[in-house]
Amino acid sequence: MTIWHPSDDGHADLSDHDTFTRGVPHNTFARLRREDPMAWCEGGQFRGYWSMTRHEDIMQHNRNTELLSSARGIRMEDQTYEEYVARRTFQETDPPEHTRTRIRVGKAFSKPVIDRQSEVVRGLCCRILDTALEQEEFDAAALISRQLPMRMLGQILGIPKQDLDWLVTKGDELIANTDPEYTDHILDRDDTQAYRFMPFRSPAGADLFRYAKRLMEERRTRGEGGGVLDLILEPDDGDNVISDVEFRNFFCLLVAAGNDTTRYTISAAIHALACRPELLEQLKRGDDAIWRTAPDEFIRWASPTMHFRRTATRDFELHGKRIREGDKVVYWFVSANRDETRFDRPFDIDLSRSPNPHLAFGQGGPHICLGMWLARMETRILLQELVRRTARLELAGDIEYLRSNFVGGIKRLPVRVIPETPST
Amino acid sequence: MVKITWKIAGKDDITADIPIGNTLMEAAVDNNVPFIEGECGGCLSCATCHVFVDPDWYGTTGAPGDFEEDMLDMTEVERSPTSRLSCQITASTELDGLVLHVPIPD
Ligand code: HEM
Ligand code: FES
Repeated sequence: MTIWHPSDDGHADLSDHDTFTRGVPHNTFARLRREDPMAWCEGGQFRGYWSMTRHEDIMQHNRNTELLSSARGIRMEDQTYEEYVARRTFQETDPPEHTRTRIRVGKAFSKPVIDRQSEVVRGLCCRILDTALEQEEFDAAALISRQLPMRMLGQILGIPKQDLDWLVTKGDELIANTDPEYTDHILDRDDTQAYRFMPFRSPAGADLFRYAKRLMEERRTRGEGGGVLDLILEPDDGDNVISDVEFRNFFCLLVAAGNDTTRYTISAAIHALACRPELLEQLKRGDDAIWRTAPDEFIRWASPTMHFRRTATRDFELHGKRIREGDKVVYWFVSANRDETRFDRPFDIDLSRSPNPHLAFGQGGPHICLGMWLARMETRILLQELVRRTARLELAGDIEYLRSNFVGGIKRLPVRVIPETPST
Repeated sequence: MVKITWKIAGKDDITADIPIGNTLMEAAVDNNVPFIEGECGGCLSCATCHVFVDPDWYGTTGAPGDFEEDMLDMTEVERSPTSRLSCQITASTELDGLVLHVPIPD
């Protein structure tokens, strides 16, 4: 089940997206955690960076935003100041500025507000699964994982239904900007100069900017739309309203952050159920308790957001390395989530793991995933409905991984589903 | 060190000696107090460190700060008049003997 690959001899190139087309190079991360926990990595086409791979180190540093700042870029590649300013969202700010915006948008994604959407989510999951399961053999990544997250986000935000397919496509282009299957403008291969002020340096970013602008204008003239967007557009206690640019960038951030992440989590979970039938059995037999812990274990297992970056604001030392002001430091959450000093049997899926101190959501710092309650709920409800409908689940061909070292996972997942004979 | 007690409905109390200067969220996580996750590391981004301060102690812990006040609207269990985010309370000698009640989700 572990996706170790003979080509990963412990020295895989973490800057090369091609490395990840064979799955996460877990041998390399294991070696780094053991031998070189603050490792200098050459960037290839861009400046080199430090790789932080241990759970303990990330937990200790993620909250220290004065030392390791988000305000100079959070992607591994470099960007100029102008590019950074044009594309920047609140994810690229530090407290206290970050805290102010985070509180503005936080309510809409808080646990109690998201919980109220659970029946909407269930309805959507049922429709997607009923359509997918009309066939016995199909690509679960295309027919299940890809369908859910954008529709869900659209419903929750209160976006018109007819726009959802378009949004799914744009979301793909926006974030999978290193895989030729999803974009004509590959970040590390083609000339993307023309789009350098757009989110993710991609033309899809331009389309989404325009869409967000229109959405906002319509909302402001027509009033309430029923989704959580209303909460975000409402004036706050100080009577401040979100600015057009802030809203536009925030909207793009939601599309980018809420789409692929959940998708790869669902694919990883279905893949695990297909490879290890005992997990399916456990979920079928399981009570409420297992559904409280299983989603986080699948999210730890998937770790779809493999890293985010920070920048050192002054010189410091760690594990005998001298980090200089301006150096890029990458938090490899995917590595922390397999850290054998923090997790008992990290390469096993333990559906009742509790506590589960994984860092898939960027725990331990102010930027902890805004959508984590939504992501957990989606994962839980989709799997509940899938398990209920499935007697047996198996792989029906070879899987393929996305070409990305940033957000990634299984992009093709041929499965065969033997449906449960309806008992009622 | 100061003594802090967490009361958890239906379970035994947890009492522990907490080093002065640690936050009560860190203290709860170190002592495996259930339902207190502290997922954002005390950065006021998650509200998963919510506690009800025992009314007798609320005068000593004091009221929430501005950001904390807003974050208290996002807790899983609805806030009460003595709600605080425990990552914003630091163990100090005045708090020796403090009693906190852990909010239990449905
Ligand atoms: C399993 C699914 C998901 C995973 C693994 C994930 C992962 C992450 C991670 C690691 C971060 C931290 C970034 C950093 O440290 O700089 C983050 C932030 C964020 N996520 Fe997610 N995410 C998921 C789903 C979602 C969803 C569904 C949404 C939207 C509805 C979302 C919206 C955001 C936003 C807006 C931020 C920025 C928060 C901030 O800077 O304060 N995420 N996510
Ligand atoms: S630990 Fe996140 S708000 Fe207290």
